[in-house]
Amino acid sequence: MSTAFKPYPFEARQYDAHLPELVDGRETARHAVTIVGGGPVGLAIALGLAKHGVRSVLIEADESVCYGSRAICISRRSLEIIERLGALDGFLAKGLPWTGGRSFYRHDEVLHFTMPQDENQKLPPMVNLAQYHIEQFLLDAAERHAGLIEIRWRTRVTAVQHDAHGATLTLATPAGEYEARTDWLVAADGGRSLVRDALGLKLAGTSYEGRYVIVDILLDSARPTERLAYFDPASNPGSTVLVHKQPDNVWRIDYQLRDGEDADEAVKPENVMPRVQSLLDMMGETAPWSPIWITIYKANALTLERYRHGRALFAGDAAHLVPIFGVRGANSGIDDADNLAWKLAWVAQGRADERLLDSYSDERVFAAHENLSYGTKSTEFMAPPSFAFELMRNAVLSLALKHPGVRSLINPRQTSAIAYTASPLNAVSDTLASGPAPGAVLPECPLSIVDSGSKNKGYLTDLVGPRLTAFYFSADGSVPPAVEALEAAFAARDVPFALVPLAQHEPADVARRCGWDHTGRLFPMYGATAGTLYLVRPDGHVLGRWQGNDGMLAQRALDAVDHALHA
Amino acid sequence: MTDSELDRVYTRLCKTMTELGEANAPLFLARFALLAMEQIGNAQASLDLIDAAREGMAMPQ
Repeated sequence: MSTAFKPYPFEARQYDAHLPELVDGRETARHAVTIVGGGPVGLAIALGLAKHGVRSVLIEADESVCYGSRAICISRRSLEIIERLGALDGFLAKGLPWTGGRSFYRHDEVLHFTMPQDENQKLPPMVNLAQYHIEQFLLDAAERHAGLIEIRWRTRVTAVQHDAHGATLTLATPAGEYEARTDWLVAADGGRSLVRDALGLKLAGTSYEGRYVIVDILLDSARPTERLAYFDPASNPGSTVLVHKQPDNVWRIDYQLRDGEDADEAVKPENVMPRVQSLLDMMGETAPWSPIWITIYKANALTLERYRHGRALFAGDAAHLVPIFGVRGANSGIDDADNLAWKLAWVAQGRADERLLDSYSDERVFAAHENLSYGTKSTEFMAPPSFAFELMRNAVLSLALKHPGVRSLINPRQTSAIAYTASPLNAVSDTLASGPAPGAVLPECPLSIVDSGSKNKGYLTDLVGPRLTAFYFSADGSVPPAVEALEAAFAARDVPFALVPLAQHEPADVARRCGWDHTGRLFPMYGATAGTLYLVRPDGHVLGRWQGNDGMLAQRALDAVDHALHA
Repeated sequence: MTDSELDRVYTRLCKTMTELGEANAPLFLARFALLAMEQIGNAQASLDLIDAAREGMAMPQ
């Protein structure tokens, strides 16, 4: 143990501020979309818009990606989104994949949980990497779209005027101050969102009293990547401790403060170091270590009532704050970005009525309430808000070793994709024996992707892109004329669309890229027979699904899209 | 009972007890135990549960 702090094993590129072309202190160009905040959510929105060919300007107050590890767990659903944004490689190369975790009560292991993982999955259920890595990989991808994404570093929003046609931002930089006008304003500027304050909006919900000290340390250890939770450990009696592994020998340790402990005292290195040392002693970690970063955390469960306010849209922590337990913060923000990007792109391009953006709010406010409900349950267990929660937690932990039936109460309820079951976009659909209903995401399944002259191993989600996708299930990959006519009908509506046949048997003659269910698992997983059609949104959620007569399938698909984009 | 049903019941129990206050908690839990025994309706099952709950708890010093 050494009290000398070490830096994170990461060096961020530094960027300068630049002024655009100005006349009388006002930028000459008016922008279609301006995003405030260059964190994971802002970058993901800019990338999503770029995938749809929409240009955006991204305003970032700092001169580089963030300092500190911050959000460290990225879920399978987020990785799916990041793959569509063209940034997956870095996440898989750097991130540490993991599938489960263990919880201990005093000396006993009382829970070993695993996240959903089977032979159908393309991506791990979770990878750990520091937020500076997350931002760096998204930034690298954004820089490959330099014509569509303009990042303005060291630029701070100081005022916002918002009207029916857009917003005017007052921006301050070391190079000077200016005004910029935009048709659409996206606030992804974090928990202390300036845009939210400027529009007079407030988060509502619950703030918890229980406090955790968060410490990152540098430690060389071969211990596997998993979530470790210690309740009332010998090293730190009466407390709860969480341990996560990050890349490059960085370890995250969170421990709960006792009631009445002074927060300012608790984060002093001389008080943190002995607690970390006794934890490492208990874990049997003997290598030398150094602290990197110490902070304090209090759980919040807060959200805005709506995420669309006229021409302003809120995403990520600017829209909602969810407790860290269950890792739903950055992950829910990335899902916000994925939901917003295609809708805002199509509205900005005139392909959809602006009311489509109300469904962004409806769906993601619903998701936030789901996330808050799970996050609240995790928080009530990890930081009991009353004597009763603490008493019952002691009962659960002390019974769990012998009584497996109570162990689910210890499970951290890790983040998972949320189905928009009540979305106004969901089309009236047919009931199938299994598979995702409208509003749900696609369950993953391996298949062979057959194109003219090639056949490659792939996955169903590889076939989703920045467009609507119609998956037509058939015996041999052939498509009836009425369904094929969807291509012309969507082209006439200027709606990006792909028709992808999914074949039960190896297709002999392919007219277009299609999937072949070589494992025989896809059709039953989707409750599909020959003549089933799934219509899938650009964010991978099902819009509608039907089974039956060709002409009827095509009509219902067209009606579903007309309703979603123009109703 | 599914995991999420157990979650719901557990949270309701915690919140009810929080409302009643710490001083009332033993009586509340005693009443709940009595009602649970009546509902179980089987003497041996209830005796086994008493032993299981007792197990591992220390005697007062």
